[in-house]
Amino acid sequence: MAPVIEVDSIVRDFGAARAVDGVSFEVSAGEVVGLLGPNGAGKTTTLRVLAGLLTPLSGRARIAGFDVSTTPLVARRHLGFLTASTGLYERLTGRELLRTFGRLQGLDEATLSRRIDEVAGELELTPFLDKRCGALSSGQKQRISIARAVVHDPLAYVLDEPTATLDPVASRDILSLVQRAKARGKAVLFSTHRMEEAQYLCTRLVFMRSGRVVARGTADELLAQSGRGSLTDAFLYFAGATP
Amino acid sequence: MSAWRLLLGKELLDVVRDRRTLVLTVLLPVLLYPGLLAVMSGIIAAGSHRLKNETLTIAVVGSATQQLLARGPAPSKVTLLSLPREEAEAQLRAQKIAAAVQAPDDTQRSLDEGGQAVVQVLYTRRFDRSVEALERLKPVLETLNAQTLKVRLDARELAPGFVQPVKLEPLDLDFQKDLGPLLASRLLPIVLLMMLMVGALYPAVDLTAGEKERGTLETLLVAAVRPVDVMAAKYLTVAIVAVASAVANLAAMGLTFGVGLSLGPVNTSFRLGPAQVLLMLACLIPAALLFAGVSLAVAATARTFKEGQSLMTPVMLVGLAPALLSQMPGIELTNVTALIPLLNVALLIKAVVLGSATTLQVLLTAGSVLAFAGLALKLAASAFNSEVFRFGGKGTGTQSSPSKPV
Repeated sequence: MAPVIEVDSIVRDFGAARAVDGVSFEVSAGEVVGLLGPNGAGKTTTLRVLAGLLTPLSGRARIAGFDVSTTPLVARRHLGFLTASTGLYERLTGRELLRTFGRLQGLDEATLSRRIDEVAGELELTPFLDKRCGALSSGQKQRISIARAVVHDPLAYVLDEPTATLDPVASRDILSLVQRAKARGKAVLFSTHRMEEAQYLCTRLVFMRSGRVVARGTADELLAQSGRGSLTDAFLYFAGATP
Repeated sequence: MSAWRLLLGKELLDVVRDRRTLVLTVLLPVLLYPGLLAVMSGIIAAGSHRLKNETLTIAVVGSATQQLLARGPAPSKVTLLSLPREEAEAQLRAQKIAAAVQAPDDTQRSLDEGGQAVVQVLYTRRFDRSVEALERLKPVLETLNAQTLKVRLDARELAPGFVQPVKLEPLDLDFQKDLGPLLASRLLPIVLLMMLMVGALYPAVDLTAGEKERGTLETLLVAAVRPVDVMAAKYLTVAIVAVASAVANLAAMGLTFGVGLSLGPVNTSFRLGPAQVLLMLACLIPAALLFAGVSLAVAATARTFKEGQSLMTPVMLVGLAPALLSQMPGIELTNVTALIPLLNVALLIKAVVLGSATTLQVLLTAGSVLAFAGLALKLAASAFNSEVFRFGGKGTGTQSSPSKPV
């Protein structure tokens, strides 16, 4: 099966600093890959290249087979991108937001209405879908944000530390979303600092340090490679924080 | 529906629901100017009325002065007080008297012998009462002058034209009775350009740096939409808000001048005709497009709303300079100045109010501003296509900046 998310030898500099140095990995349908690494490892830069927000110096990134540099609009129609920030327009209602983003992603009116109903049911948005986002609680905002990212039913989910600022309840919503996406055959790339989440959700892990991939495999394989008993200890080992 | 139109709808909905924008662009001009100008007008009128009816004390220095004044009509609402010169000067500086008048000791003899008496009036422009006192003394001395001259001319059987063969009589056809157009030509260019800028700058910062800070821009740019569509929607939104602000200001100022300001005895009413309004809009709309492009290009480089506001301060100052320059003596709308962006808009507004703008000047002004607006649009488009726009300026190394690996 062809991978849905492909990152192929990506290189990206910021001034004199090399942020990403030849990173490659793939995520197939029905797979959840965790992107791990300390701050400054190049995870967010890699994800932003994947989303077409940053242009790589060399290498290629593809979503559903479409190159994000040469065919960005088609590639993004297959991409659901969620950041740690909820990034909601606070003066718009949840429904207005979903309609806007659904239309931007190319959904026709009938499909959009159906998808809004679907995500509203799935994420339990109905009680507050017509309230302005600025009036919602942080958990409700996060759920609207998730709905915005997936309203067009993308093949690839790219989630950049989506639980970093959330309480356990809101984090649970994200984890549920990932599990459901996986079950529905979506390809999920998931960046996180929470090792218990990575171990719980991810079929494979990619560990980055100083812009390079230094380890990859299942959680068990990373534990074996590091010779450590827990993923947190393995994280410290691959990050160079322990001998 | 195309992406830019969809986004324009979203941006406008967002802006309309933003109370700060509404207050700055619509409520402020509609309520503030008429109210402020009415209060100012009332204060000026009340002050002028009080001054005209106040009895002023004027010092008379020396007996010769007393004798001279006794020969003429009594000055209106004035109390005369006999004081020595030094004392009169001291009391004038202390505002205890409004003015002092002193004629030479040999005034009577000079006048009797056909000579001239130079009468000094001591006053100061620092105090309104002192200026008013001078105004009240002038007719008294002019009457004395006329009486004495008549006696002399009668004695020699000469006509008044003998001593003044050529008499100057200034006749200002446009402003002799009404200062409204003159005041409007001074105020409107500055107010309209300033509010056009305020109308553009605030939404420009909010829609770029503000969105970066709130994290909404990133969500927009990862959607299936071209940066140029995002830019077009934001550009048109900023331009529409700026034009709305300028129109609201024009309406408020037009209404205020239409009602008229009471500035003492001067009538300041002035009505803008439909043609004048259309001519102004013909140049204000291109100016709004120019401001929208420049402010978006500059604001796009900021990381936060606060930083965006700081960047806008020099833009505002540069934008206001032409409006202020247009008020300098000798700076008029010509076929050359009509090519200088913003200065031409300010001068055109001034010329339209005074009724001196030509069709060619209007076309040159609109064309010039549109050309520069096109350049500003190109600048804004370039800014929107850069990674600096997406993640802010260089050198911070924050999570949202691309200057360091994240």
